[in-house]
Amino acid sequence: MLFNSIGFAIFLLIVFIYYWFFTGKRIRTQNIFLLAASYFFYGWWDWRFLFLLIFSTLLDFFIGLRMQGAQSKKVKRFWFWLSITVNLGFLGIFKYYNFFIESLAESMSQIGWQMHPWTLSVILPVGISFYTFHGLSYIIDIYNSKISAEKNFADYAVFVSFFPLLVAGPIERATHLLPQIKKERTFDYFKAVDGMRQILWGLFKKIVIADNCAEFANQIFNNSSNLSGSTLALGAIFFTFQIYGDFSGYSDIAIGTARLFGFDLLRNFAFPYFSRDMAEFWRRWHISLSSWFRDYLYIPLGGSRGGNWTRIRNTFIIFIVSGFWHGANWTFIAWGALNALFIMPSVLMRTNRQHVETIAQGQFWPTIKDVFQMSFTFALAVFAWIFFRAHSIEHALSIISAILSPSLFTVPNFDGKVKAVITLMLTAVFMIVEWYGREEQHAISRISKKWNRPVRYAMYYAIILAIFIFGGKEQQFIYFQF
Amino acid sequence: MRKFVAKILLFLLPLAALAYPLDALISHFFKNSHDYQGELEVWNDIYNSRASCDIAIYGSSRAWVHFNPDFLSDSLGKSVYNFGIDGHNIRLQYLRHKEFLKYNKKPKYIILSLDDFTIERADNLYNEEQFLPYMLFNKDIMTFTSSYSGFDKSDYFIPILRYIGKSRVLYNTFFNCNSDCYRHRGFKGIDRTWNDDLDKAKIKNESITVQIDTSRIDLLETFIKECQNTGITLFFVFSPEYIEGQKYISNRNSILNVYKTLSQKYKLPFLNYSNDDICFNRSLFYNAMHLNATGANIFSKKLGHELKKLELIK
Repeated sequence: MLFNSIGFAIFLLIVFIYYWFFTGKRIRTQNIFLLAASYFFYGWWDWRFLFLLIFSTLLDFFIGLRMQGAQSKKVKRFWFWLSITVNLGFLGIFKYYNFFIESLAESMSQIGWQMHPWTLSVILPVGISFYTFHGLSYIIDIYNSKISAEKNFADYAVFVSFFPLLVAGPIERATHLLPQIKKERTFDYFKAVDGMRQILWGLFKKIVIADNCAEFANQIFNNSSNLSGSTLALGAIFFTFQIYGDFSGYSDIAIGTARLFGFDLLRNFAFPYFSRDMAEFWRRWHISLSSWFRDYLYIPLGGSRGGNWTRIRNTFIIFIVSGFWHGANWTFIAWGALNALFIMPSVLMRTNRQHVETIAQGQFWPTIKDVFQMSFTFALAVFAWIFFRAHSIEHALSIISAILSPSLFTVPNFDGKVKAVITLMLTAVFMIVEWYGREEQHAISRISKKWNRPVRYAMYYAIILAIFIFGGKEQQFIYFQF
Repeated sequence: MRKFVAKILLFLLPLAALAYPLDALISHFFKNSHDYQGELEVWNDIYNSRASCDIAIYGSSRAWVHFNPDFLSDSLGKSVYNFGIDGHNIRLQYLRHKEFLKYNKKPKYIILSLDDFTIERADNLYNEEQFLPYMLFNKDIMTFTSSYSGFDKSDYFIPILRYIGKSRVLYNTFFNCNSDCYRHRGFKGIDRTWNDDLDKAKIKNESITVQIDTSRIDLLETFIKECQNTGITLFFVFSPEYIEGQKYISNRNSILNVYKTLSQKYKLPFLNYSNDDICFNRSLFYNAMHLNATGANIFSKKLGHELKKLELIK
């Protein structure tokens, strides 16, 4: 059930009506109903993996209780490591087993030892990386005595499986979402209206920007061998906007949907392409994952305390692990390492928190310095995305070498140039709207504050019209594969 | 809460109210499009009962560009309409047949143009746009197209939904609807010379194997039985295919054997032009599978004479 499908619209309508009108607004009934709806939503993809989700939820729920009641530190540690091992074990089997075994076989063949590895032909359960990280954060927080174990299974299960965030995040924390699940929820009109607005904007990002950009990114990346540097550079730019529209669009729909039910999820994107350096970019891109790695990996490793070498090591570790989290391919590892490299100057010079506030705050136009810094950061991000999108390291390097050749200065050549120009124009309009709303939670939130009703409604209908006319061919959400 | 629901309903009301009229408007104007290889012209003739004929020609693109109705009409003294549907096998050829019979007088004869792909497995709904103006609440179109990747179930029932993102369709609807007719009684002679499609294909693969789908064979058999039960005389014709192209299909003989077996089983005349002189003359083709306009005219004349000589059409 894709967020941008009629099936999901019907599902959402039914769940919304039942949740607010037929549960008697009793928190227990609401939570049990949300859990049932979330399992239905997940089972719609592939009901067989529902058992894995339920098992993972049960495991962490019971281990959480065991850790809470542990008589000694040793026992607590035992349960903690059991949870970590099983959770990462599942992730390892489903997501990384084939990668490790094939990489091992390849390494062995380099030294003349032929291995015939036994690979698994399993499909990756949707959302496994996301709900595993939910469970892990819960267990780690209990271990560190930041929270108490949840005693109500339904409440905990909703935290892990709440349908808006189940398959592609945002990655929630027990400290943030569980209290909301346990608290009585009353319908908040303004929150719900803004939630609808955010859903609309998310749909625009996905259907108009991401799906159209995908058409050209796919065409160019899948036939890159004979294309000029300029065409490949354009392909990388298309992918840059595709992945942003796709993932931040998904996050907007997820956050907006949760708001309809009275929940505030963690923010996942804060206009990352307006960042002035890579450190700022990473504070604004996939925030829930970056902060997860910061809190559960970077800080336990020592963070930025200690000398330069410790900081370099820790930065590389979290970026490489973050890259690997995205998928079992050397391209993701290279992408992570490259980002670590890009962020390194600001980490070493301790300027990584130089740009915490929004760019050109309180003003409409950025300064020339801002424009220069944004452009440079954007170029670095585009460069890194080449590795993320390429099929292999060799593929990425061949694209980069073509981009860095004189053919960069030729006219791009590919199919569907008229549509590509229209897509770029739409992307430009999209970025202008994002710029206008950059100080808010989402781009069109500002509209409700600044514009009067007729103009506001005209804008909503214009967005719907744009989706109707310019909607791209339906593509799977990129982050579903992670 | 009530305020929220009321506002949402109020917001959606104009959209819901406009959906059906807008759908009807777009469908009405889009029907005039001559794009998509003129497929809509044929559908219009079918749904407006303008396709009645003595001899109906069915098949894929090879039917559409090979069988000139004028030449056949002249030779046989009968009215002819070409229902060839580009890029589709027996499944959608059969859909066209069903819709044709629903709105038009039954033909006396059907010439089924067979090719290497008539009974092939196919998942992609090529030229899906051709169904857009006719598919809303159309059960037959849904039955035959919903198994392909192309439309969602909701597209068949909810107005306007299927037009989302179809910018080319919208452009054709409002800005490109007055261009000239592309087909003449379903036929289009292609004025092209030999291209390098076959050479390019050979670089990719030395040969290809067509995936035969048994459900397509069953459907072909159903079609044959239906024709016989309703008194329609059916002929199989395998029109010329360039000789080098014939070699490119590794299981061509197996495919031909299916047709031969069916023709024998149901006592259907089967005119196979696989070894005809035309197949050795590259200048009559624009690619390995398709005759150009000159080739099509020569072939149509030849077929007309043969049908007359064999007294298959009375």
